[in-house]
Amino acid sequence: MEVPTIWLMAITYASELTLLCIGFTLTYLTAKIPNFAHGTYAGFGIYVSYTFAKFFHISPYMGFPLAFLIGGLISLAVFKLVFGTLAKMGSGAIVLTIATLAIQIFLGAILNIYAYSFVAFFGQYATGFLLKEWDFVVAGSIAGIFFVAIGISIAVVLVLHYLLTRTKLGIAMRATAEDPELASVLGININNIQLFSWFVTGGLACLAGAMIPMWFMSSPTTGSGIITSIMAGSLLGGFENVYGAIVGGFTIGISEIMFTLAGQLTLGTWFGEYRPLVPMTFLIIVLLIEPRGLQGFYERYKASRTKPKAAEAAPAAPTEKEEKK
Amino acid sequence: MYANIALSMLGSMPTAIEGTSRLIVDIAMFFGLLVIVAMALNFQYGNAGIPNMGCAVQVIIGAFTISAIVMRIMFTVAAQTGVPLDNWNNDFKWIYSNPANVGLMNEFLKSQAVLSMGFLLLSIGLAMILGAGIGYLLALPAIRLRATYLMIVLITVADASQIIGRNVTQISGGTLGVWIPDVFAWYPGDRGVITAVITLFIGLVSFFIFRTMLNSPYGRLMRALRENEVTIGSVGKNVVGIRRNILMFASGITAIAGVMNCYYLLYSNENGYQRAYWTYWPWLMLILGGPGNNAGTFLGAALIIALRRIIIVYKFTIQQFFFFPISYLEDIILGGLLVVVMIFRPNGLIPEKLLYIPGINYAKMVQEEVKVDWRAAPKARQKAAEDKAKKEAKK
Repeated sequence: MEVPTIWLMAITYASELTLLCIGFTLTYLTAKIPNFAHGTYAGFGIYVSYTFAKFFHISPYMGFPLAFLIGGLISLAVFKLVFGTLAKMGSGAIVLTIATLAIQIFLGAILNIYAYSFVAFFGQYATGFLLKEWDFVVAGSIAGIFFVAIGISIAVVLVLHYLLTRTKLGIAMRATAEDPELASVLGININNIQLFSWFVTGGLACLAGAMIPMWFMSSPTTGSGIITSIMAGSLLGGFENVYGAIVGGFTIGISEIMFTLAGQLTLGTWFGEYRPLVPMTFLIIVLLIEPRGLQGFYERYKASRTKPKAAEAAPAAPTEKEEKK
Repeated sequence: MYANIALSMLGSMPTAIEGTSRLIVDIAMFFGLLVIVAMALNFQYGNAGIPNMGCAVQVIIGAFTISAIVMRIMFTVAAQTGVPLDNWNNDFKWIYSNPANVGLMNEFLKSQAVLSMGFLLLSIGLAMILGAGIGYLLALPAIRLRATYLMIVLITVADASQIIGRNVTQISGGTLGVWIPDVFAWYPGDRGVITAVITLFIGLVSFFIFRTMLNSPYGRLMRALRENEVTIGSVGKNVVGIRRNILMFASGITAIAGVMNCYYLLYSNENGYQRAYWTYWPWLMLILGGPGNNAGTFLGAALIIALRRIIIVYKFTIQQFFFFPISYLEDIILGGLLVVVMIFRPNGLIPEKLLYIPGINYAKMVQEEVKVDWRAAPKARQKAAEDKAKKEAKK
């Protein structure tokens, strides 16, 4: 059986987007703000891959651990220098969100300068590239990145599930997300937990970014351009639920590519220009119908199933007591 | 054809006069434009607490009003009075006969001062109406939700408007852009000066409108909405409606900046309305000057515009010291300055003042307010939480 390449491409993109959405949602859980700089972390991953392939002439897969580390360190630095300080000053959510936008501009400029330094010093064109020739091929025609991307995202989901439900660290993370003050009273070091979760989010974003140029045309602005898809995915998942982010990110990733293809086939090739509008449309439709996304739908469904039972149980409870008396 | 375009480009460039006086006119013009945007932003964020991250959308609506609607009206009027305009009705002709048509229009408008001013007023009025309309549409999905949702929607719509402008050539000429007829062609002196003067005049008028609104009961309502929306809702005010009205009004004013920008450059292209320029720089002005304070907005706008224009004008001198293009340096200044101001000067250069209420010495009333040290606040809150936990443990 032969799988059409477009589906492989869509699944690869969706896996990368899922990693980004998980990170975005984790940040939203710990800091209660949408981190607009999240896409730009992915841009750093893109350039780690570029540096490994085009500058050191090693397979970009070797750079993935380094990408995770670099992303984590950038994220830590951002938290230590900006968010920690602003949050200690008691700034509101709006000021913190503007700070993330400022960081996005700042990091984007640094990325552009890094890309331009290849042009200035080594005469290499680094502002638009594809690393497909560095990839390995499985079973004749399937690109290796398909298996790597889907494998990494499944592994991350499993590890994260284990971490959040079975380990003390993960339970402490969830407690911190629920109520930081109460968690600190119970003896959890909130600062360390926050540092850890920011490190993980930055690392995951950078790792996802490192996989992007293996199949998709990349430039310094790819990272900041992908942020709309990330936000649409997280919003579809409900913004406050990691499992929702997995479903939402995967849905948005697949539909972004497949809807664009369907539009191109039925309406004409001009539809390809409107690809960024697909996640935007999703975002606005979700906000209009159910601002809490899939989580809101799930909770409504659960409530509609449990309500009649509760109504039956409520009158039943006193009668038992009366019988005991 | 291309020689024609290049000639018309050279002829209408605002840098026709050299020297420092040109720089001053340029700074005055962009100060006027961005102070309108920043003041409207101050009205929304500084006083009512609505984080409008979509100034670029409203400005682009102003620009598209000119290039898509007013220019067609101009052509129709001119064609009826007998100016031999080329056909402009299909996609191809709209772009390629545009330079020649605009050249003929400029010749025609040279002797028609009243008609030109009529076109200017028409475009400002239309832009305000359409800007308010887009404000209403933007408010639909997210105004009833948390403020961060509104920011997300507005930022994405800013990108969407650029994509649509780039691909629908009938709106703004697609990637090539279109030339705009000069409504100040009748003015015998330098047209940069009169554009700057009219923009500054519009800025002054909108300043007085905003000031009057702020010192009226509606202004106090806005500030109360910013501080605590639950209280406002509980005393019977329509929180969502008030927010939407403020957003619509400020959107209408912001759209004027797009109109004046078009008439200054005599050129319209979606690429000139990136959100970095039309959203983030006004935000930096607002935060640097101090939100909730028009004087602060003026100061912030003046400082930032002077900095930016000087970087642009002395670009080639500064470029020698850097290996990368200067535009990235601008981005670094923008992002870095925003963070630095927010950390070291959270209230801006000029802190917010109390509103003027006739007959009440408001300042005396609030003199006994409790001062909150925000740096110590988390510790105090932590202590309170610990005390609470101890009490619960005792029980």
